[in-house]
Amino acid sequence: MKLVFSNIFYVALSITIFSFLLFGLFILSEYLFLEPYIVGHIQQGTEFGFVLIVILSALSALVIPMNIYRINILKKSKGKMGGSVFSSFIGSVAGACSCGPIGFAVVSTFGSVGATTLAFLTSFELPIRIGAITLLAFTYYTTVKSLKIECKVR
Amino acid sequence: MNKKGILIGIITSIVIISVIVVYSSSSVETENLDARTHEMISTTMGSSILGNPSAQITIVEFGDYQCHQCYNWFHNTKTTVFQNYVDTGKANFVFMDLAFLGRDSPKAAQASYCAEDQGKYWEYHNQLYNAQESQIDNGWANSERLKAFAFSLNLDMNLFDSCLDSEKYAKRVQYNIDEAKKLGATGTPTFFIIGSDGQQQKLVGAQSYSVFKQVIDSMI
Repeated sequence: MKLVFSNIFYVALSITIFSFLLFGLFILSEYLFLEPYIVGHIQQGTEFGFVLIVILSALSALVIPMNIYRINILKKSKGKMGGSVFSSFIGSVAGACSCGPIGFAVVSTFGSVGATTLAFLTSFELPIRIGAITLLAFTYYTTVKSLKIECKVR
Repeated sequence: MNKKGILIGIITSIVIISVIVVYSSSSVETENLDARTHEMISTTMGSSILGNPSAQITIVEFGDYQCHQCYNWFHNTKTTVFQNYVDTGKANFVFMDLAFLGRDSPKAAQASYCAEDQGKYWEYHNQLYNAQESQIDNGWANSERLKAFAFSLNLDMNLFDSCLDSEKYAKRVQYNIDEAKKLGATGTPTFFIIGSDGQQQKLVGAQSYSVFKQVIDSMI
């Protein structure tokens, strides 16, 4: 991990991913409002969802740059990279597609198919996020392990 | 010539009477519509007005009975807003349907108007938000459950069942959805805070009491 984040490019990439995911999901999940003025608000009963967003953003910000490093520097396979991006994406859309504008756009555009997808993603928001976090944690573990071996070999 | 004159007279009379009848009936409709218009928002097909009808401020909520953010607002913020503004006569409240989240959403909205037929709209509205479950379309708001809610409120079940099964209020709910789209509401809950001097502020999402307080106080 030190090896990857000793390079300023990967630190900047990590901060960008973290900020983008964190603030994006806070806005979409209605923890942060931009109008009529910028205000944060955690509704009673939604604290767990808030914590999951922070964990998901932090893990994505760790795992994605590490896998980009593997591909760029060590020329390794893109399998882990795909897994981490997929986990981040699924974890993100799980909560984003609820009562808000994205959900409304999905239903308006795709009709009943969109409504069914939306209902699924909204109903299982927390389990999907937990699943995505588990997958990211597993990818982090295997990436750190493989980076140790691959860097020693080099 | 006389016969012709009489005929023209009769036709003219029929035309005049018809014009008067059509004009008077349309003006009644317009009057009803005007009675429930808050600035640019027609709330004619929404809920009845809760609170002081001549209050300075009107809060219009576009919501879905299956929306968890609407549930959050109902349970966390609504009480404080009502205590400070609706119960004190400073504001009144209207609920409109933006029922889009699942197949049971429009049915639940229709059921609320079937309860309104028996004078229990707000009781039924509260019942739905108290009974909401986290999963959309999992059956908590299907026809059987909607009828069970009505039964628990001691509604006349023959009237309620026939109202719900005949989809008596399907067009009313659709009108509200169209009205929401027309106003640019693209999610639930969306609130429009309307002042007596024509000021209007849109609040998107289950925002906190402090935001409502700031917006409403700036209009009073």
